[in-house]
Amino acid sequence: MKMTLGEAIRNALDIKLSEDERVLIFGEDVGKKGGVFTITEGLQKKYGEDRVFDTPLDENGILGMATGLALYGLRPIAEIQFVDFIWPGFDVIISDIAKERFRSGAQFSVPLVIRSPYGGGVKGGLYHSQSPEAIFAHIPGLKVVIPSNPYDAKGLLISAVEDEDPVIFLEPKKIYFAFKEEVPEEKYKVPIGKAKIVKQGKDITVISYGYMIHECKKAVEELEKEGISCELIDLRTIIPFDGEIILNSVAKTGRLMIVIEAPKINSFASEISAFIAERAIYYLDAPIIRITGWDTPFPYALEHLYMPNVKRIKKGAKKLMEGF
Amino acid sequence: MEIKTLEIKTFTSEPLRLIDENGKPLFDFIPEDFGLSDEFLVKMYKDILLTREIDRMGWILVRQGKAAFYISIGGQETAHVASLYALEKDDFVMPFYRTVPALHVRGANIKEIFAQTMGKDVDPLKGRQMPGHFGKKDINTFVLGSPVGLGHTVAMGVAMGIKYRRENRVIISYGGEGSTSEGHFHSAMNFAGVFRLPLIIFIVNNQYAISVPRKKQTASETIAIKAKAYGIEGYFIDGNDALITYLVTKKCVEEARVNKKPFLIEALTYRFDPHSSADDDRKYRSKEEVEEWKKKDGILRMRKFLEYIGLWDEQKEMNYRKEIEEKLNEVVEEIEKRGLPEPKDMFYEVYVNTPWYLEEEYMELNNELQEE
Repeated sequence: MKMTLGEAIRNALDIKLSEDERVLIFGEDVGKKGGVFTITEGLQKKYGEDRVFDTPLDENGILGMATGLALYGLRPIAEIQFVDFIWPGFDVIISDIAKERFRSGAQFSVPLVIRSPYGGGVKGGLYHSQSPEAIFAHIPGLKVVIPSNPYDAKGLLISAVEDEDPVIFLEPKKIYFAFKEEVPEEKYKVPIGKAKIVKQGKDITVISYGYMIHECKKAVEELEKEGISCELIDLRTIIPFDGEIILNSVAKTGRLMIVIEAPKINSFASEISAFIAERAIYYLDAPIIRITGWDTPFPYALEHLYMPNVKRIKKGAKKLMEGF
Repeated sequence: MEIKTLEIKTFTSEPLRLIDENGKPLFDFIPEDFGLSDEFLVKMYKDILLTREIDRMGWILVRQGKAAFYISIGGQETAHVASLYALEKDDFVMPFYRTVPALHVRGANIKEIFAQTMGKDVDPLKGRQMPGHFGKKDINTFVLGSPVGLGHTVAMGVAMGIKYRRENRVIISYGGEGSTSEGHFHSAMNFAGVFRLPLIIFIVNNQYAISVPRKKQTASETIAIKAKAYGIEGYFIDGNDALITYLVTKKCVEEARVNKKPFLIEALTYRFDPHSSADDDRKYRSKEEVEEWKKKDGILRMRKFLEYIGLWDEQKEMNYRKEIEEKLNEVVEEIEKRGLPEPKDMFYEVYVNTPWYLEEEYMELNNELQEE
């Protein structure tokens, strides 16, 4: 069945609600309204107010509730309306959710999912556009997952809900309803921790995730016509990231470019760069290039200049081909 | 004999109490009037005393260099023990650090509490946390973190789970009066009020958050009255009065269990010791003030009360103190001989399935250890 990314997420939630009574969905406006992006539309009607419900406007309360429910043995899925609003609950995430298993000597754990739209491209300004995945990736105990297409979104979300550890599930809001793809109606899983080669290539390894995959796809197609063959890898899971696939690809191409929306400094692009610099610098035929958002807060009017695009990616690729 | 119902008022300006500072009943009653048997009272007193002695031992371990840190319940034993007595085994406890020496009331193994204090291999937390962070799954007592107030928010979520499953259980979440300044307190109270959750937030008001006195913590007349704005009943009680503490907590627990509604209890008490072994309380309060409050010690009051009604005497006190002293020395002697926790577990208990990079990091450490 053809589905958008948003529909695929709704479908995954529907499947988990129907097969597991431990699954509860809550957040701001997720009930009657079905969420500001309509992701949970119809679910309260179908499963009742005990299973799908609105909370007060308090991210700290939402995440505290999720933590307690998971400790109690349920499988909460908390929606944070925009990831930009998650910070009032950051103490719960960093001090409890991420550490519960470790700090209790594995007596307790909090298998829960925090779903939240992230990223730019919708004219959301500073507080409806950010990409804070690296902040979560820096905290041991969390998993961070970012899908780029409907098929992966459904399969990864089902994996996240069934995971025994907490998962931050970031949804690229720009492409919630941008395109449809074939998505099986039945349940299936896409494993957390495994990247995917979107397109094989021999000259440059391009690592990306989320909406940026689509900018990369366009750039890679154009580059192909210009005689530069790129291997595009969709990371899909930020933590724990798939080091093997990156390493194998770089060993083959000898050139690495990472494309993300987040600011450059201390980003996950930096982590991948360091990973390759530590383990495979002898394979490199050119310095690693990071194409990222600028190290400024996310702007409103100049959004189009902030986010990496085909032009910047292509320019990066050409520089890589120049070598050292 | 008919059990009388004690009239318990909400939102009082003065703390509710049943016995005065000399252990005398404030009005004409006998404990049986409220369903409290002789056996129950003696047992509770013994547990309060045991808590004090466990706490004293914690301080000794710090001074001997066997624990790196200690955070004390000294002076606040009565509030903790008497409220824990109001729970059933199936109920949940979200402790804060001062609750820990009282957790034997829940059935916590004292050996394990000291293993946690000393970071030994038999610590159920496997030496991961500072002293004073004990919790244990089999006694329905969660493991706390250090950030103040965090437990309230999480306890609220547990209460939501209880309500979802329609179970006849409650959760009690402990914190100091300082914890009511945190956003977590607000989140927990607000959600608990809206969703009608079986949550009791029990505030041990020891009048100082490290050095900051209660008056600089909030301009609210009492802590208990903060509940009003959330549509929750609040009770202000004398936390050094074991009887009122038990009876009020019991009332809240049972009402929360049956009617699925939250409560806030503020128990007024005093911290005899510095905030922790890293604090010097002489900097912010007078010796006289501390001495004045030591006269109002809940243990002393309960002892005098039991003596007044003929259930306790000097001989019994001496015998019991001797018994627990021997027991605690024996426990500590056994635990201090234990080794450190296994380093491997540290890497393998971050996630259920250990990621490749943690396996690599463990190998790196392990190789270093092999070289030594």
